[in-house]
Amino acid sequence: MTIITTFPENLDDASRSSDATSEFRLGGTDLQARLRRGTSSGRIVDLTRVPGLVGVRDLGPDGVEIGAATTIAAVASHPLVQTRYPALALTARGLATPQVRAVGSIGGNLLQKTRCWYLRGGHACFKSGGDTCPARTGNHLYGVAIDQGPCVAPHPSSIGAALLVYDTIIRTHTRSDRPVAELWGDGSDPTRDHLLGPDEIVTLVLLPRVPDGERGGYFRSISRFEAEWPLVEAVVRLHILDGRIKHAGVAVGGVANTPLRLPEVEQELLGELATDGLFESASRAADHRCRPLPQTGYKAALLGATISEALRRAAG
Amino acid sequence: MVDVSCTINGSRQTLTLLGHESTVDVLRDDLGLTGTKLVCGSGVCGACTITVDGTPTASCILPASSLNGTEVTTIEGLATNGSLHPVQRAFVVEDGLQCGYCTPGFVVEAAAFVDHWRAEHGNTDPGSHIVADALAGHLCRCAAYPGIDAAVRSACRGEHDDISSPARGPRVEAVEKVTGSARYTTDIRLDGQLEGVIIRSENAHALIRRVDLAPGVAAGASAAVELLGTDRTVRYVGQPIAAVAGVDRAAARSAAKAVIVEAESREAVIGGDPRARVLSRPIVHDGRAARRRAPISAENPLVPARWIGNRRGPSTIRWRGMRAVRRIASARKKGDTRLVELHVATSVQVHTPLEPHACVALWPATDRLQVWVSTQAVHHIAKLIAKHFGLPRENVEVIAHHVGGGFGAKLTLTAEVIAAVELSRQAQRPVRVVYDRAEELSVGGLRPATDTHIALLADAAGSLRAMEVTTHADGGVSIGSTVAGLAPMVYGRSPRIVRDYDVLAHTPPGTPFRGPGGPPLAWALEQAVDEMAITLGEDPIALRRRWDGNRRRHALYDWADALPAWRARHDMVSAGRFRRGVGVAAANWLYFVDPGSEVTVAVREGQIVASTAAQDMGTGSRSVIAGAVAEVFGIDPHDVLVEIGSSKGPHGPASGGSRTTVSVGPTATEAAMKLRQTIGDGPVTPARLAGHEGATAKAQRGKDKRMRLTPFTIRDLQVGRGFSGAVHVSEVEIDTHTGKIRVTRVWGGLAVGKIAVPALARSQCAASIIQGVGFALYEQRHLDPASGAVLTANLEDYRIPQLGDSPEITIHFHEEGWDHVPGGGVGLGEVATLGVAASIGNAIRHATGWRPLELPVRPDRVLEGLR
Repeated sequence: MTIITTFPENLDDASRSSDATSEFRLGGTDLQARLRRGTSSGRIVDLTRVPGLVGVRDLGPDGVEIGAATTIAAVASHPLVQTRYPALALTARGLATPQVRAVGSIGGNLLQKTRCWYLRGGHACFKSGGDTCPARTGNHLYGVAIDQGPCVAPHPSSIGAALLVYDTIIRTHTRSDRPVAELWGDGSDPTRDHLLGPDEIVTLVLLPRVPDGERGGYFRSISRFEAEWPLVEAVVRLHILDGRIKHAGVAVGGVANTPLRLPEVEQELLGELATDGLFESASRAADHRCRPLPQTGYKAALLGATISEALRRAAG
Repeated sequence: MVDVSCTINGSRQTLTLLGHESTVDVLRDDLGLTGTKLVCGSGVCGACTITVDGTPTASCILPASSLNGTEVTTIEGLATNGSLHPVQRAFVVEDGLQCGYCTPGFVVEAAAFVDHWRAEHGNTDPGSHIVADALAGHLCRCAAYPGIDAAVRSACRGEHDDISSPARGPRVEAVEKVTGSARYTTDIRLDGQLEGVIIRSENAHALIRRVDLAPGVAAGASAAVELLGTDRTVRYVGQPIAAVAGVDRAAARSAAKAVIVEAESREAVIGGDPRARVLSRPIVHDGRAARRRAPISAENPLVPARWIGNRRGPSTIRWRGMRAVRRIASARKKGDTRLVELHVATSVQVHTPLEPHACVALWPATDRLQVWVSTQAVHHIAKLIAKHFGLPRENVEVIAHHVGGGFGAKLTLTAEVIAAVELSRQAQRPVRVVYDRAEELSVGGLRPATDTHIALLADAAGSLRAMEVTTHADGGVSIGSTVAGLAPMVYGRSPRIVRDYDVLAHTPPGTPFRGPGGPPLAWALEQAVDEMAITLGEDPIALRRRWDGNRRRHALYDWADALPAWRARHDMVSAGRFRRGVGVAAANWLYFVDPGSEVTVAVREGQIVASTAAQDMGTGSRSVIAGAVAEVFGIDPHDVLVEIGSSKGPHGPASGGSRTTVSVGPTATEAAMKLRQTIGDGPVTPARLAGHEGATAKAQRGKDKRMRLTPFTIRDLQVGRGFSGAVHVSEVEIDTHTGKIRVTRVWGGLAVGKIAVPALARSQCAASIIQGVGFALYEQRHLDPASGAVLTANLEDYRIPQLGDSPEITIHFHEEGWDHVPGGGVGLGEVATLGVAASIGNAIRHATGWRPLELPVRPDRVLEGLR
């Protein structure tokens, strides 16, 4: 198969070069790996020559916007992100490896393909044009615990969970702004990693202004030191005033077909005194969502523990 | 097409690219910068790290088109004006490497980190946590992590800035490895070289009706060969069917896609409870001929055993076996509390050396054959190749100057060698075949999964009264696992019976893996002994001292018993979220030697040269030989030229069975002493050497002072007298909320006699502990139960230990008791890892009251166990 790569120099050309069989490339951290394994489509539209997609901009009262091609490392280390959106900075700092963060983009992270070992091993499944999920009936040890639909692979975007807690808006070059959650919908379509059209390009994410002094927390449950896909991960933002929680945002990854915000947990936290006891009880408020698969029952137990640890870190 | 201009190691380059290429391939294949290694291909392991405008980047996942306008530095460009970077010196001096394959990536990243750190913090020590965090994108399968940690931290402290003397450490080839100049088989590129790929079975079980290579040739293959066995049956996903060669890997792959394989799929046996598999159908090896062809996962020749269906065995060792069975049955019936029974299991562990299986074959028009192979056994492989291809042994040369790890996976004639030689013969051009990471992780070699039932019965005095151990091993299509059979070597003389079964499946075959059978046996036996100590209310070390008659191990028990952490174990926290515990395990291992090993020492061009047909896969064989020779002449080991890595040298041992050092070390000493007699005593000056140019002496390993267990040699291997011993004490911390286990400290005591090169021996022993941590907590091959395909075919899903997973390690050597062996010591590479997982299991039991039975002890299993 001949692989054709194009290097458009503006969004319109990029959009025109794209169709359902092509893939956009920014950092290329995942696409290059899939090319080597022979599990990519073979048409690449490289966006690195499109201007205006990089950078963190302060919009004053309107918040902060981050260009889609801004690297994860740049987001993690940006002073504006660190002070106003600490949960995003911590999440960006906590994912993958330093080398991946140095090259991988925030847009690419949001829209990346699932890491399911069946999909990546070249097995036929919903996402590779098939009509079944071999993981559901096969080995799904790292699959979802909140079963939203036919595909049982958890969504891999940690940045997605972080953007959810900040009520982030995404902008594409063709259509109107929309909440970041609409990138993924309810996770019931097993063929999609995201719901953008084939010619649609995310240009930036917009984080609304937050009160000064907010805290952030991020925790991923893994078996080793670092650099491992999360079994469960949680992102937390807290605004604590006089010991009481004035505002809370909680989202999780690793458990569902989409990153998930958990308003029921936030509700338990609001107005309460920030104590370890509260964190443990509130973090169990999401348990009702769990419908684990035969091999993912442990994730139901881990969900509360992970949220609770993220809350502790945010408050600590 | 796209033009890319960049600066690479200071020189301007203009590259014309198609646009999809990854940087590592451009560097290695187009620019010949082979210091940068390709390992995982997915940005997990960091072996391919370069800097782009000063930022470390994994070049395997970096589009080469992104290099436009950048400044790139590879390992080859790290030294300035011929002076090594302080980090390169640090890796040499602190020995932050073994096989060296991951080293260029580590060094490039560490150099950037150290420069940055010192600019911000001056010459201060960042501590291990910060270093591990900075290097989280790197993996070292040898697990030379303690040396890496020491190297980076000492470089941060500014201890390696002095460039007035050459960098020298305990490993004589270290400079080659830290500069990227060490050439591995994957780096070989000959004129006109073709690239070969293997076409593998997609079926777990099928009869191959037809293989049509012609369309592959039409699609551009320069050569195409079939690799099927005579029965034309494939028995696991990934079994080789054919191979094709093309001008490059892409050409070979598209030609491979064109080859027609008509497979008649058959039902397959995949996974499931191994004890139940005797009744499974279809039978994997049906009939005597098929059974004789079954691959063998052991190093040693097999003892014949019975087959029933998909079960082979038992291979039984007994001493008053029926009495043992009766005693245990009666104790079980009576509910005797001094009967301890455990049913434990271990998962398939994969070797995954970072240099994959690789071969470059050059078959000229004559009957002479030159083959570069990433192998642990140049001498042995040359014999096997000669036999396989019907060539005189002296016409085959196998070369392996540097070997990027093996761990037992590279001891035999495997598909990449046969494919490369066959393709080269057909194409009459050099052909290289290199496994990709998915192949390496699927079919490159594995330690069989095991299921063991163990029963230990103590009498009223607390002595061992009976032992019964039964293991069912799942090595896929392979046979020959010995696990239970190792149990009688350790404790006492009570009645005992042990049985080993192989249960067959249509999954990839096992191969020897560092102490074959040993870690699974220890996982069963040492946990059962620990449980017995709890049952009897006795200290676990005190119990072992009573049961274990081995004098050398008694010295280790004394040492372990005196460790402050062991003494303080009763005061550890056993409530709350984080629990800490300490566990102990003992192990012993056979002493293997290759008595035919020979070493030649000569004066050549004014230098002392030592030669043997051994190889160095990171275990330090070169340095052992250099050290032995240097000691005789009173010179620096770095001034001895060691010629290994070619089968043309005098008979050398395989690097397996912990036999290399004990086979070549004393032999090198003896040869050196003979040469010393020729050239006389006194300082070894250039003038003196010049006067003896051409002088040569040769020695053969020969016999020990006392007889061996086996009076004859099988496959160049004899079992010598005495057992090597080890005792491991591990400390763990368990997060009961998340199920995460951290092994915080491990003490390893080794009774292997005199140590040849202490720094390298310590590195081996520490690395064995870290690999043991991987076996205990992370490593597990997963299969698709429907197709039999390996799901963990990448280094994200197959989890090996990182730098940050390394515990703090202390190594203790008991050096006495091996006077009957020339050199006074035996091998340690295997005994040093056997008991590690078991000691961790016992520590988990101590910390939580819950005994883990299945490996690896994943977070989900911890949560389940503590629920």
